[in-house]
Amino acid sequence: MNTSIKKKIALAATTALVTVGLVSVSSSAYAAPVCATANYVETCGGVTADGAKYAMMAPANFNGTVFIYSHGYRYSVEAPALGYSLATVQNNPVPGPLVGSDKSVMTYLLSQGYGIAGSTFKVQGWNANSAVATNEELIATFKTKYPATKKVIGWGDSLGAFITQAVAEKNPSLFSAVGLSCPALGTVEAELNGASDFLWGMKTFFDKDIKGHNYSAGDAGTAEAMLDISKILGIAGEVKASLTTGTWPHNSGAAGVALAAIPPRSALLLLGLIAGLPLKSAHFDGTTGPGSKLTAAYTSFALAASPALAILENGSQAAVLAVLATLDMERQSGGPFYDNSTTDYAARVAEDAQTYNAALSGNTAINGMLAFLNKANPAAPRWTATAAAKAEYAKQIQNTGVINAPTLTLTATSDPIVPAGNTQWLADKYAAQYAAAKAKAANNAISTGKYVGPQSMFLPFWNHAPVSYTKFDTAGSPITTEAGVTGTGHCNFTVKQYTAFADALALAATNGNATPTLEMRTAGRKSGGIVDTTYVAPLLPFYRK
Amino acid sequence: MFGSIRHKRSLVAAATLATAALTLSTLPAQAFSPHYEVGVSASTIKLGITIPLTGSAAPGYNKVPAAMSAYFNYVNDNGGVNGRKISLVVKDDAYLPTLAVAKTNDLVLKDKVFAVVGALGTANNKAVASSVNLGRRGIPSLFINTGYSGFADKAKYPTTYPLLPSYIVEAKIMGQYIKDNYAGKKLGLIYQDDDFGSDAQAGFKAAGVKFDVSVPYASGSQSAASGAAWVGKLKAAGAEVVVVFGVSSATGVALAASAALSYKAQWILGSVGGDATTLKALGVPAAILTGAQGASFLPSPGDATDEYIKQFQDINTKYNAGAVFDNNVLIAMNTAMLTVQALRAAGSNPTRAGLMAALESKGGSFASASFSPILYSSSSHVGYTGYWIGKYNSSGVMLPDGGKYTLYTTDSGAGAVNTVASKRPAMPAKGLPNN
Repeated sequence: MNTSIKKKIALAATTALVTVGLVSVSSSAYAAPVCATANYVETCGGVTADGAKYAMMAPANFNGTVFIYSHGYRYSVEAPALGYSLATVQNNPVPGPLVGSDKSVMTYLLSQGYGIAGSTFKVQGWNANSAVATNEELIATFKTKYPATKKVIGWGDSLGAFITQAVAEKNPSLFSAVGLSCPALGTVEAELNGASDFLWGMKTFFDKDIKGHNYSAGDAGTAEAMLDISKILGIAGEVKASLTTGTWPHNSGAAGVALAAIPPRSALLLLGLIAGLPLKSAHFDGTTGPGSKLTAAYTSFALAASPALAILENGSQAAVLAVLATLDMERQSGGPFYDNSTTDYAARVAEDAQTYNAALSGNTAINGMLAFLNKANPAAPRWTATAAAKAEYAKQIQNTGVINAPTLTLTATSDPIVPAGNTQWLADKYAAQYAAAKAKAANNAISTGKYVGPQSMFLPFWNHAPVSYTKFDTAGSPITTEAGVTGTGHCNFTVKQYTAFADALALAATNGNATPTLEMRTAGRKSGGIVDTTYVAPLLPFYRK
Repeated sequence: MFGSIRHKRSLVAAATLATAALTLSTLPAQAFSPHYEVGVSASTIKLGITIPLTGSAAPGYNKVPAAMSAYFNYVNDNGGVNGRKISLVVKDDAYLPTLAVAKTNDLVLKDKVFAVVGALGTANNKAVASSVNLGRRGIPSLFINTGYSGFADKAKYPTTYPLLPSYIVEAKIMGQYIKDNYAGKKLGLIYQDDDFGSDAQAGFKAAGVKFDVSVPYASGSQSAASGAAWVGKLKAAGAEVVVVFGVSSATGVALAASAALSYKAQWILGSVGGDATTLKALGVPAAILTGAQGASFLPSPGDATDEYIKQFQDINTKYNAGAVFDNNVLIAMNTAMLTVQALRAAGSNPTRAGLMAALESKGGSFASASFSPILYSSSSHVGYTGYWIGKYNSSGVMLPDGGKYTLYTTDSGAGAVNTVASKRPAMPAKGLPNN
């Protein structure tokens, strides 16, 4: 197909996508997709057997490869204060990742001849159990509609990556390649544990009235969660103000009295380390201060203030999600599932506490804060799970980490919602799988006289934040209104990064392995990411205890 | 997108193959390029260092990279290491752990160094170990510039090689000295409130020394105001002998405050913050430094009778623009000379694994200015273990008690402090290793 037609498809796809929602479909029962073609792109809408709305698109020059996209976590309750509406999400299936409201990734794929598809899933919240079946059905539906389909590439963001990996593990030959961007992986427990630790810490240090868990049923529970969110955002403001006043948040209670000599920023930083939050955020790099590099003020800000402000920025986002995810999972589990009654926070942060010793105000302060958080301190009661909720919680699908198809990851090393340790978990699992395959090949060589080593099936793209990027105004105050830098934020990838990732996935699907080619490396570098198979991210705190 | 690039590359590859086919028949077998380790080429070995060139900890330490490069350049001008010249990529970490992590990542990923050498700071090296994971990636971190005892744990830091005696060793030796010479005096301690200071406290405890007043400070919090507050506490407690276990900038504010507040005590300075040149540059009056005591694991930089000092001074004059020869320059050149020996021991086609194996099997025999040997082995990453005690004269030069170096050695555990006859390999001819 010539270039002009490709361009027409690209242009048309944007329009076509907008009309997806206009294609009339039944929302109550399974029905064949309803399709319409405009400007060389066919767009279909439908509902899976379980009631999830989906969208499929294929260009006239469909090349036989389809990208099946799984979106990330969506709140399970209405949250108008956060500008979130369940109805909006559930009526708008998105067949590919968006960058803001920009549909360029989808139009790019269509212009290259790829088909794309995605659904809203049946329910919102942590929905891996049902989403696996939804995706399996969507793939089958696409193949039925487009019999020329030869390769299926599964990809997803965040929880969508977890779902994609789960589908790949359950169906070893379904995908020709798997793309996991900003991936949550492993178990929901591993995912939420650090966030719950952070919530518990926020309550214990800064606001004794935060509920944080064991929410009530129905609307009352939702209201409790929303109140917690407003409290957390309020604490963020008070801790920020404390950088100059040193005053603990007004509702700190016993902690504010016992630890009054320690700057609240140090307490917040300790919670961030406990939770495994990254020490770089959208606007704080942990390396830059205001004014001249030669001044004490510069060093002091970079060393002590910047890491805490990064936790403030990252933690605020993470805590909001943590509250709503906790509410969601408690409802799915039938009660409180998080339990830190035996957690040894001192052991968990022993190493990090020394790395950030200065920002934590020294060993005396660190020991004081950890003593306050100790399980023996009656002023810091731990949270416990009910046995029934724990058992129910354990029924959630778990990733095994087995890789069957070429699998590529795209991970920001300073993602505050789904830390890079998720990807590291998979990398570690694959390293063991690969080593076992090599050993098996060596054994086979003894009998056959010929060594045929395994192909590499895993390739991580690590997206690092720049070294220094914090900006200051003329008064020396940090500027936090600009867009967050690459390598930080959750799924904060550019169109260029997503399209390079998609290209790499298509290449891996063609090659049948994930061995990094020069093209992949070049595209990765040019898109702001890098291919670095030797980078090792810290594991989630859940795995460190 | 990839298709067109691939096509072009295929053409290039085909052309290259065709050219190769034309020339293969005329080339000897050895013309094929051998495989070199990352950071090694036929003509160079690339090393890297992160160190504070700016920020509060920069004074003194900012002289280290230039002095190391000076020694490497001297070796390069005399044939290099097995024909390869050494280059040193220098990154400023401003003594910030986050920056040390980022800059070390740059060294590894962008500069592709063979090894990291002489990286400074306990917190920084810890941050790098956990976030950059040099150990897991098999990247050597040679002769790190910190005495934190934990880095000798080979299981935890498999590719990290400390050089300095541990802070526990230093405190035990200092503690024994205090017991022997200042029994009955009121004792004070200023210490950095982190692993550095924890090691010191452990060492003093092992030596049986109890301080009447202790003043912890958080790293980076030192200032003229905090210095005055520390001295105020010491003065109020009547401390007669005061140990400072801090970086130069902390030692500097303590001594300056002492002078300003007319507080007289017998000062004993830890080796980390005891470089006289740096202290004077920070504004410490010579009078308060005169008579202060300190500990060192290398000879006095002012001792031109020492063969190592003399040789390093010559190299410093010719290759380092005559920078003032102080402890920082001395440590830098000694580290560089050890590095050259390690690279030589790793063989003609050095690998990272080979380098570490050579250090562990031969490191103990390397020529070094220290009076105590390096104890690296297949099971230990302990470096030096000995100190001598001296006193600063009016010129700021620390000279050994009694006019001769008395080496005290011990371990980081419960071992006794012993006095041993100092013995070390001779300086190689012209300061050029021949191992």
